[in-house]
Amino acid sequence: MTTTLSFEAEVARLIVEALHLETPPEAIDPEAPLFGEGLGLDSIDALEIALAVSRRYGFQLRSDDERNHRIFASLRALAAHIGAHRTA
Amino acid sequence: MPGLPLTSRGLEEVLFRRGAAPVTVARFLAEVAALAARLPAEGPVLNFCADRYLALLGFAAALSRGHVTLLSADRTPQRLAEIAQRHGAGYALSDVAVALPLPVLRPDAMPGENAPNPMIPAEAVAAIAFTSGSTGEPQPHAKPWGALVAGARGAAETFGVTGGTSILGTVPAQHMYGFETTVMLPLQGAGAGHAGDVFYPQDIAAALAALPAPRLLVTTPLQLRALLRSAVAMPALDGIVSATAPLSDALAAEAEAAWGAPVREIYGATEAGSIASRRTLAGPGWTPYPGTTFTIGEDSASVTVPGLPAPVPLSDRLVWDSEGCFRLEGRLADMVKVAGKRASLAGLARILTGIAGVEDGVFVAPDDLDANPQARLAAAVVAPGLSADAIVAALRERVEPAFLPRPVVMLPALPRDTMGKVSRNAIAALAWRR
Repeated sequence: MTTTLSFEAEVARLIVEALHLETPPEAIDPEAPLFGEGLGLDSIDALEIALAVSRRYGFQLRSDDERNHRIFASLRALAAHIGAHRTA
Repeated sequence: MPGLPLTSRGLEEVLFRRGAAPVTVARFLAEVAALAARLPAEGPVLNFCADRYLALLGFAAALSRGHVTLLSADRTPQRLAEIAQRHGAGYALSDVAVALPLPVLRPDAMPGENAPNPMIPAEAVAAIAFTSGSTGEPQPHAKPWGALVAGARGAAETFGVTGGTSILGTVPAQHMYGFETTVMLPLQGAGAGHAGDVFYPQDIAAALAALPAPRLLVTTPLQLRALLRSAVAMPALDGIVSATAPLSDALAAEAEAAWGAPVREIYGATEAGSIASRRTLAGPGWTPYPGTTFTIGEDSASVTVPGLPAPVPLSDRLVWDSEGCFRLEGRLADMVKVAGKRASLAGLARILTGIAGVEDGVFVAPDDLDANPQARLAAAVVAPGLSADAIVAALRERVEPAFLPRPVVMLPALPRDTMGKVSRNAIAALAWRR
């Protein structure tokens, strides 16, 4: 296991670890919604993810980033958002 | 029939702030009249505005037309459509684009020439709030206008809110707690509400900094924790109000030390509204809201609330403390509250065992459920051939996300004590041994 994790896989692992999910990181469909009928996350999880992101990647999520719609639309969207805004 | 005016505030007082722009009561009443004139003929109205001022404006205009407002904090199209259909909504008011099978209006209004302060009968049902229950089926709770007004005045008195206090809420205007403390409080009590929709630590800090002091933050234990952990720079606060879940002494102490303001909690329920408060660090005694009467028995408790037609049963065990205060001694065994939502453990277990391939299963609440805002339920499941992931996937279609178990413990058989009763403690030890 020496290959570099793709950034999406890294974010998937961050989510599973931060939220103590039963779903293995690699089983998260990168295109599926994280909330509601997808992974079934809720607003507690949104805050937890925001905290984990600020610790690991050095920036704060904000509501005017259209929180539940674009960023959390999918793992892929979240990873892209983090990739574009990270400072660490 | 006794009536109460739409607002108790003076015409020149600031009722709300939209960004930096103050909205006076006179301006608000002129906008209410203009919006009311263009509303459809028949209610009820589904109001799910994200902007708190628009939520208030829409509610007030509908009320002045005699239309009942359906308050749904859940903005998923499926839930909104379900509530609209079940309650025969005539139209919806929103600033959020959601496709619904009924007319959706944006409650923006240029102020008209007239700005009456209409009288509303105290008995008239002004709003219907919803609780979700374990299966997510919304249960309606009617709110007479008189009860909403009494609650707002109780909150103003309890929290010492003055005319110039800026009130920043992080809870949706359509959640009962948010509606009472960030919509009704300015309308019928005191203070100026903040219109914006804030959620993350950075939003909260930036919005507070833009508001004039004194500042009151109306929030939840989860957001308090996130604010403290994220260490965003906060302006001076004059008060913090927390509700929806119990707040730990440690978190309250940390917040008071960081921001130099008292942290107070509200005890309440959607059915009853806010009914008691305490300063967390002052001790476990809760002071009833003005006008409420508690009836506390051995195995049950209920509260009589001004403006509500009948006493409301409570799902916690209450005990009288000194001087008219009560203590909370835990919940009635089967009821749990996660993420501000209540469910019955037995009800959840029935759903779990209804899944094809599940032979047996129970839900268990952790010991710190009432103290840890991040706590989740666990499930112990007997289902040869099914994975924990598959169980969660099946539950996802049947229960609210808040109640999805973390972790799921797969077992060959449920542990039972010598009496044959499922051992909650044995399951808890397996679930939370980490």
